[in-house]
Amino acid sequence: MNRLIHAELVKARASRTVRVLAVLAPLTCMLWAGLGVALLGLEGRMPAEDRIRNVYAMAQQAYLFTLLLGILGTAGEFRHQTITWRFLVTPDRGRVVSAKLAAYGIVGLAVAAVSAAATVAAGALLLHLGGHPVTAPGVPAALLGAVLAVTGYGLLGVGLGALIRNQTAAVAVALIWFMYADYLLTMLLPGLGRWLPTGAARALAGMSMENAELLPAWAGGPLFAAYVLAAVLAARLTTLRRDVT
Amino acid sequence: MSAITVTRLSKSFGAVRAVDDLSFTVGPGTITAFLGPNGAGKTTTLRMILGLVTPDSGSAAIGGGPYRDLVDPVAAVGAVLEAAAFHPGLTARAHLEILRTAAGLAPERVDHVLDQVDLTGAADRRAGGFSLGMRQRLALATALLGDPAVLILDEPANGLDPAGAHWLRGFLRAYALQGRTVLVSTHVLAEIQQIADHVIIISDGRAVFTGPLAPGSDLEELYLEATR
Ligand SMILES: Nc1ncnc2c1ncn2[C@@H]1O[C@H](COP(=O)(O)OP(=O)(O)O)[C@@H](O)[C@H]1O
Ligand SMILES: [Mg+2]
Repeated sequence: MNRLIHAELVKARASRTVRVLAVLAPLTCMLWAGLGVALLGLEGRMPAEDRIRNVYAMAQQAYLFTLLLGILGTAGEFRHQTITWRFLVTPDRGRVVSAKLAAYGIVGLAVAAVSAAATVAAGALLLHLGGHPVTAPGVPAALLGAVLAVTGYGLLGVGLGALIRNQTAAVAVALIWFMYADYLLTMLLPGLGRWLPTGAARALAGMSMENAELLPAWAGGPLFAAYVLAAVLAARLTTLRRDVT
Repeated sequence: MSAITVTRLSKSFGAVRAVDDLSFTVGPGTITAFLGPNGAGKTTTLRMILGLVTPDSGSAAIGGGPYRDLVDPVAAVGAVLEAAAFHPGLTARAHLEILRTAAGLAPERVDHVLDQVDLTGAADRRAGGFSLGMRQRLALATALLGDPAVLILDEPANGLDPAGAHWLRGFLRAYALQGRTVLVSTHVLAEIQQIADHVIIISDGRAVFTGPLAPGSDLEELYLEATR
């Protein structure tokens, strides 16, 4: 198993796409943190402490990039037909996917940690320059939650990529689902939101969500993990069994 | 014992019966030519032998059992499949390094197989820019990573330049002389005639000829007769 995980990491390191996404993730977080600081000056109902915490919670915004990394790491193998080579070397297809989960967990964690650090650096600097308090209660917890959630999206990407196989379709489904559909459903059916992947991830990250009462963080994590497992299990029962032609 | 045993293999894609009750064996240390018209079912058969396509019925054994049960697949079998593909953004070396790592092989294997297929000069170029012939060489290098006892090649001469085709012939002959086994599908009868010991000809998924290739016999005539 170790050598399969290692092989995935060798591949990730050699890929230009992975490097680009890994660099864009922290940059995006810094932009969001800057936006958060800029909006601090506006009148609002939210207490100032919460708004400062939310600046740091922008570390969550790296989720799209780890999600894409996971999807491209699996569905990309089908797209470029390199999956044939992988299955020739490792005929046990489930092990190939398990190795990808582990490897993209590691890659996702690294991207999440760097993104969190970038968010802290940009957030603290801009808050200081703007004359705001640089920290608030709950900031470390928000950062830790963001790192966990961003890593989790990488794992979910692996599951979705294995399940959908078609890279373009997987990316489209993921973007539409995680950028819009979850929020739309939550708006229409407020009671449902906390049970959806986005609700679970936000609970894990200790964030709030409009119109939805979220689960506690300790429940958000396992619920999100259940979505990952469900995707992987569904893939093992369906797409992974299909002929590779 | 035979190196490859195919027993009553059948596979349909929808209404198309790609392989139909096909049986044959491939002896160790031989070069067996696997011939047949386009769409005869060669690629599907090879993919079933390699565990990539699941047969509707029948079985394929390689080294005594199904491919999926091989303890060390890359040491047992190396395969080049039709239109072998690579990630266009990765270099030849990176592609080989990933699979070498996954297979747990020694690091020197990468340079060794690159040298074997004469691709060392292009090792650090991205595979996306490779010609068809270069891709064939890289595919063969990949198949050779585990120094396998059996080589399965699906139209490997496709896109090779004359020097490349000449080289491949010599390579396969030397390979078989070491007691290893080669099963190769091809349309280039004049080429394969020079090195093959055995012939399997299929048409519409069924075997229409299996037997040794006597020296001096005319393979083209045999082929045209069998597939008429
Ligand atoms: N994935 C597939 N889906 C549908 N039909 C297929 C598929 N693969 C092969 N076929 C059909 O099966 C038959 C045998 O194809 P193939 O094994 O590729 O033949 P060959 O390699 O001898 O040219 C052809 O009619 C082909 O169209
Ligand atoms: Mg073919």
